Amino acid sequence: MAEPLLAIRDLKTYFVSKHAEVRAVDGIDIDVQKGQIVCIVGESGCGKSMTSLSIMRLVPKPRGKIVNGEILFNGKDLLKLSDRQMSDMRGSEISMIFQEPMTALNPVLTIGTQISEILVRHRGMNKRQALDKAVEMLKFVGVPRANEIIHEFPHQLSGGLRQRVMIAMAMICEPKLLIADEPTTALDVTIQAQVLELMKKMRDETGTAIIMITHDLGVVADMADHVVVMYAGQVVESVAADTVFEQPKHPYTRALMDSIPSLEEDKDVLYSIPGTVPSAANFPKGCRFAERCPLAQPSCFDKAPELREVAPGHLVRCDLVS
Amino acid sequence: MLSYIVRRIMEAIPALLGISIISFILLHIVPGDPVRIMLGQHYTAQRAAALSASLGLNKPLYMQYLIWLGNIVRGNLGYSYNYSQPVTSLIVHALPTTLSLVLISTIFAQLFAMAIGTIQAYFENSIADHIVSVLNYFFYSMPSFWLGILLVIFFAIELHWFPSGGVVNPQDPNPGFADWLHHLVLPAATLTLITLAGYSRYMRSSVRETLLLDYVRTARAKGLRESQVMFRHVLRNSILPQITLFGLSFPGLFAGALFIEEIFNYPGMGLLYWNATGTLDYPVLLGVTMFLGVLTIVGNLLADILYSLVDPRISFDNM
Repeated sequence: MAEPLLAIRDLKTYFVSKHAEVRAVDGIDIDVQKGQIVCIVGESGCGKSMTSLSIMRLVPKPRGKIVNGEILFNGKDLLKLSDRQMSDMRGSEISMIFQEPMTALNPVLTIGTQISEILVRHRGMNKRQALDKAVEMLKFVGVPRANEIIHEFPHQLSGGLRQRVMIAMAMICEPKLLIADEPTTALDVTIQAQVLELMKKMRDETGTAIIMITHDLGVVADMADHVVVMYAGQVVESVAADTVFEQPKHPYTRALMDSIPSLEEDKDVLYSIPGTVPSAANFPKGCRFAERCPLAQPSCFDKAPELREVAPGHLVRCDLVS
Repeated sequence: MLSYIVRRIMEAIPALLGISIISFILLHIVPGDPVRIMLGQHYTAQRAAALSASLGLNKPLYMQYLIWLGNIVRGNLGYSYNYSQPVTSLIVHALPTTLSLVLISTIFAQLFAMAIGTIQAYFENSIADHIVSVLNYFFYSMPSFWLGILLVIFFAIELHWFPSGGVVNPQDPNPGFADWLHHLVLPAATLTLITLAGYSRYMRSSVRETLLLDYVRTARAKGLRESQVMFRHVLRNSILPQITLFGLSFPGLFAGALFIEEIFNYPGMGLLYWNATGTLDYPVLLGVTMFLGVLTIVGNLLADILYSLVDPRISFDNM
């Protein structure tokens, strides 16, 4: 396989306070190829959002800290860049869309200002040119009345429109990588589908790779080329999207698949995984999923499993599957 | 917008009536007799009765109030007992002096507070943050007259850098702007230091909250320079609460100027009020109090209008 666009190697992002060390991201490896859509799946608190903020180097300071690893983007380690070099990358080479389009836009600046400032910053355009380009981009992402909307403020737009504005902002410099942190969670189902469709269209037309953070397996089925399942700060399974639905290997992934509601089977009680995620301040020494795992053996509680390749391109962190 | 302003002014009338009743009662509760003070050593019962009658002070209190109110509605604040001048002209004469003191102090205090509060919030919990916090509390808890006296002792008496009082040099037949400014430094510095502390505490917490908001993260995710993030995205939102604070603190500043004008012998509203207190000059005391009442209401209205200009989410169209 060609050299990946993004290669995360043994990344560890911790939150350190006087009393505890919270290992939010605890040694993950993820590859993203050019133009690929990779979905990172997991429950709240599994470290998926911190992974994306780590790539952007926007982990909340001063407590959050990337303590180990490499994030190779086109072969260059982002963690070795100066703050200034990193800010040159953000918004231009790598950009990000957040979950809440409501709060992610500045309430006192016009849409036009918020989009055009990116072009002024990265492309050296003047304000007039940048605004023209912003209108063009808004039209491209399907925002009606783009000419008027650049003079409006975020509170005047609907949630779906705001997320389109966010996408326009993220894509306006045609980045090589787009990170979308649950971009559709806050939206209506019909709007969700439109926004996902739009993101796929952007990928097809610009060749931008997308990392999509989600806990919605419907989104995964719709979008993903490759799926990374995270649990308690670690990658537990990494595989092509088709395989994950047909042959999930890791007990956690299987449990996730079982908890998808289905129209064909008439179940009275929806399956849910018993127990809760272990505290990231105090992980067990064995397998982190063992407590909740229906297949757990005594040995699982003693020895932490390694991520290993069980089939070509199929990585699983479980000693019981083959 | 216009109908909103008109409505706010209408709503202010009951408030002003309330202020007038309370301050009228409070002033007359204060022990002392202005007639006795005015006559001094020439006091006789006969003269006192005559003076009382001519000032209308022999009428029952509610009648005095109604007469005074009737005059006020017609724009007549009455005559000062002391100065034998209309209160209106006394206020008009003293206002520019106080206003320049208050406005200049406020502008400096707000500007410094924005800078100090922002830097503190940005470097939260650093040693500099802690040192500035301690200094803030130091000035915040210090009485204005004491700080004023300290500044006079140090900068006027010891160092001779600035005059210890007055507006201009009385011996100079043609005092210019520079002389006026020279006299303004110490009183303005006192008022600035006293108010700065409170403002910068507010600014610090405001910036701290804004820094945690999602759109600041978005601004950073766009790759904006840290200075752009701070000036365009953080500061603009953080000064919104300062505007309300400004509206609310405006009358307080006049009250603060009272002591400062007394210490620096600075002939503004504060000194006028101070001198009127000593002689129970009712018309002046009531006039200045009512003026401050109007100022409070106007200050709040101005703050609200200013707010709507800075924050697009607030509009008066459907209020």
